[in-house]
Amino acid sequence: MKIFRYLIAGLRELFRRDKTESELNEELNAYVQNAAAAKVQAGSNPEEAQRAARLEMGGMESVKHQVRAVGWEFALEVFVQDVRYGVRMLFKSPLFTAVALTTIAIGIGANTAMFSLVDAILLRPLPYPEPQRLVVAGLHQRGESGMNLMGTTDFLAWRDHQQSFEQVAVLDNGNSFALSGMGAPEQVPGVDVSANFFSMFGIAPLKGRGFHPGEDGPGAPGVVVISEHFWRDHLDSDPEVLNRTLTLDGKQHTIVGVMPASFHFPSRRPVDLWAIRTLTPQMSRPPYGLVALGRLKPGISMRQAEAELGQITAQVNAQFPTSPELVGVMMPMKKWLVSEFSTALLVLLGAIALLLLIAVVNVANLLLARAAVRQREVALRMAMGASRQRVICQLLTESAVLSLMGGVFGLLLAWLAVRAFLAFGPGQMPRLNEVGINSGVLLFTFVVCVGSGILFGLAPAIETSRPSLTEPLKDTTRSSSSASAHRTHRALLVLQVALALVLMIGSGLLIRSFVRLSDVNPGVQADHVVTAAIWLPYKYTDPQVGQFWQQFLQKVQSLPGVKAAGITMSLPPNLLEITNPFTVEGQGYERNRQLQLAEEMTVSPDYFRALEIPLIKGRFFSTSDKVEGKKDPMIVIINETMAKKYFSGKDPIGGRIQTGDPDPNSPWETVVGVVGDVKYSGLDAGPGPTIYVPYNENGWVGWSRAMYLAVRSSENGVDLVPAIRAELANVDGTIPLAQIRTMDELLDESLMQQRFRTWLVSGFAALALLLSAIGLYALISYSVSQRTREIGVRVALGAQRGNVLGMVLREGLWLLMWGMFLGLIAAFLATRIMRSLLYSTSPTDALSFAATSLALVAVALLACYIPARRATKVDPMVALRYE
Amino acid sequence: MTDKNAALVQGTLDMLILKTLALEPMHAHGIGLRIEQISQGVFQVNPGSLFPAFKRLEREGWVNSEWRATENNRRAKYYVLTASGRKQLKSETRGWKTQSVAIARILEA
Repeated sequence: MKIFRYLIAGLRELFRRDKTESELNEELNAYVQNAAAAKVQAGSNPEEAQRAARLEMGGMESVKHQVRAVGWEFALEVFVQDVRYGVRMLFKSPLFTAVALTTIAIGIGANTAMFSLVDAILLRPLPYPEPQRLVVAGLHQRGESGMNLMGTTDFLAWRDHQQSFEQVAVLDNGNSFALSGMGAPEQVPGVDVSANFFSMFGIAPLKGRGFHPGEDGPGAPGVVVISEHFWRDHLDSDPEVLNRTLTLDGKQHTIVGVMPASFHFPSRRPVDLWAIRTLTPQMSRPPYGLVALGRLKPGISMRQAEAELGQITAQVNAQFPTSPELVGVMMPMKKWLVSEFSTALLVLLGAIALLLLIAVVNVANLLLARAAVRQREVALRMAMGASRQRVICQLLTESAVLSLMGGVFGLLLAWLAVRAFLAFGPGQMPRLNEVGINSGVLLFTFVVCVGSGILFGLAPAIETSRPSLTEPLKDTTRSSSSASAHRTHRALLVLQVALALVLMIGSGLLIRSFVRLSDVNPGVQADHVVTAAIWLPYKYTDPQVGQFWQQFLQKVQSLPGVKAAGITMSLPPNLLEITNPFTVEGQGYERNRQLQLAEEMTVSPDYFRALEIPLIKGRFFSTSDKVEGKKDPMIVIINETMAKKYFSGKDPIGGRIQTGDPDPNSPWETVVGVVGDVKYSGLDAGPGPTIYVPYNENGWVGWSRAMYLAVRSSENGVDLVPAIRAELANVDGTIPLAQIRTMDELLDESLMQQRFRTWLVSGFAALALLLSAIGLYALISYSVSQRTREIGVRVALGAQRGNVLGMVLREGLWLLMWGMFLGLIAAFLATRIMRSLLYSTSPTDALSFAATSLALVAVALLACYIPARRATKVDPMVALRYE
Repeated sequence: MTDKNAALVQGTLDMLILKTLALEPMHAHGIGLRIEQISQGVFQVNPGSLFPAFKRLEREGWVNSEWRATENNRRAKYYVLTASGRKQLKSETRGWKTQSVAIARILEA
């Protein structure tokens, strides 16, 4: 109630300012009259009494001021006054304002844009009801860390025995569907999920329904839920979309629901279709390809649930004595989605924050230079009775106005930057659909604006209001900043150089790492190769899969210009589909021996020729290896690393291996060839074993449904695409030719994230360098102009050009040295957080440190040299007369 | 009240004004005069402290004001104690007495 009364009283005062003012006047006059009257009564003569009463009152204005200052509304009025004054002052020096505003707008815009990414991806909770209860479960081998996918057997055991979750659901990691019957066949991104997938998230469909329980049972009719995006793009937002059918992988699916665009899971890649994954009990434990999701019961912690999963997994371990001992692990869903990106995002945010600091220092220096001009005005105000706090407050309001105006432009820039990032930036990041400028981001921008306004305003404000009343007023011929202002100016410059160096070193490290990464040999000849994905529908039986590929490859091979055409399950540099444990003859079978995994893939004989993977020993596969009706030859080709590591000292040709979990009863496969290493797990992955299997081998032909085609031609590979597509349509018109890329494009795309952040940080570093150079140039120029007279005297007394040049340069160099010294220490401490972003580059890489330092020295010297040269041209006669 | 002890009696001035008004409504000059007289010249209240104090007390709702004619027929703004002002005076007086007794004890110990 009290606050309410204060509020009303203050507001009334604000709106009836004139009335209260005249009333106060009247009251004060009455006071004087009464006092005078009292004195007359006491015996003074009237004139004398009048004078004494006035004297007693003191300054009428000062009393009024004290009365006004009682209410809260006074602070508001002062603030509004300061803002208006600030705006007026800014418009009075448009050049300064333009430069400062641009600097701030860039700094704040970049920070806002980056923060909106960090906010959407890392900070905000997932956009589902009670997201903290959502977890992802997986497995790893005892003694290892991290989280790998689950297999059907483990998932079913968990689903049937767990007590900690309201629901557990499953997602088949990585899938897409061949859509046919609607124009040209195409591959549509989607996933297979269990029937309770949507109800676990608790997100209602836009239209229709999610899946019903039981729709994931064996033999249930095909149903599919589509995304709003797919509904709009492929079905023209048909209001009667429900119960229409789609032919996916050659099978009819009824559309039962449309999910809103806000639901996007898994969120790292596009998902347009959710179909049913039917789980049936398996005889074996692998393969491991399922993402297990769950919603915890209220009040149950993830640790408790993890302990329970551990017990269930232990029982599965007991059932499969030959499989390695696995341990169940869990992770909050948000962490699972975004943790991979947190370092990169935070490093980028840090880099941008550094850039903002540098911009702030530049503006502070601009203000300091102006402080010299403003000092007279401020001294006048203080002489008239303004307190120092009052002056500082007013100057800070002015810089806050500046930074808020900059912030408005910054927001505009940020909005553009975010749009540009979403359109042209590296995709493949989670939660990008949630990125936007929202209230949280606006709050951040506001705080950053006010904060930087105070940061860059404080030193100049303190400087300007330094209580020396007479000096600036006396000094009418020239305006010079005080020695302490100059000191502050120089300290800020040292800070700026240091910050710029940190950014430059960070960018140097990223560039060096990126160059090394780009130089990595992928193990294939990338030129003149075009690749595409072809997925055969499940209606193809195993023998039909073999026949299909044989027929299709023959046709492609005979196209004019084709040198070699092959198919493979995995493509370099990062499209690896599966890894598999293996056992080399002579190794034991004990269950907890260290897990050895190989990248394993089925390929056709000409795959190696298509990518020009070198043969080191033995032979490639041949079309004559498998003879219809006879036993499989059971042969493999291994890579060089595997040959060296597991067949050291022996001839690997003729050596035997088993794949799958260590089991003496697994069939033996014979090595017939050794080929060069190829990167399948990313260019930054270390060398590891790779096993190639003929695509038509009995145990593997079922896996050879989803394959990549790789075609080497004598000319531009992309020109072949129409002919290849025609051949595919000839064999089966319902199968799309998807994901068409040249090998060069694949290599390029795999470096997109790294390239993006390297360019971004380098851009910041270049800006930082530019800002610091401008700062240095301005300081030295200013210093030269201040010392014109001194230089004139020196020259008159016989100083040579070299002496003068050295004297001016020395000042700049001294600042530069300090800045670099601090910058190197800071960089040394700071770059270690980038470790996980660097490829075979140490965070303290000497070359990066040295090269960027040299670049800084070169640019800084140039920035100092230009004004220093001007100093040498000083004509002593002119300089001395000038005073 | 001189500037030297202004800070010390910042809150006390409000109490003294309330006390003065408890006798009868009074205008600014009269209040200042009365405080000076009763304190036998120890407290000299200058207008720079007096007028802000009125505004403060009005804001709190402890006094009201109205324009009246003075004894020698001039117009002046008279301040009148309100019911809540009377209550406030009572509680402040009590608090002050407790404090001054305590301080006196400490000083005499």
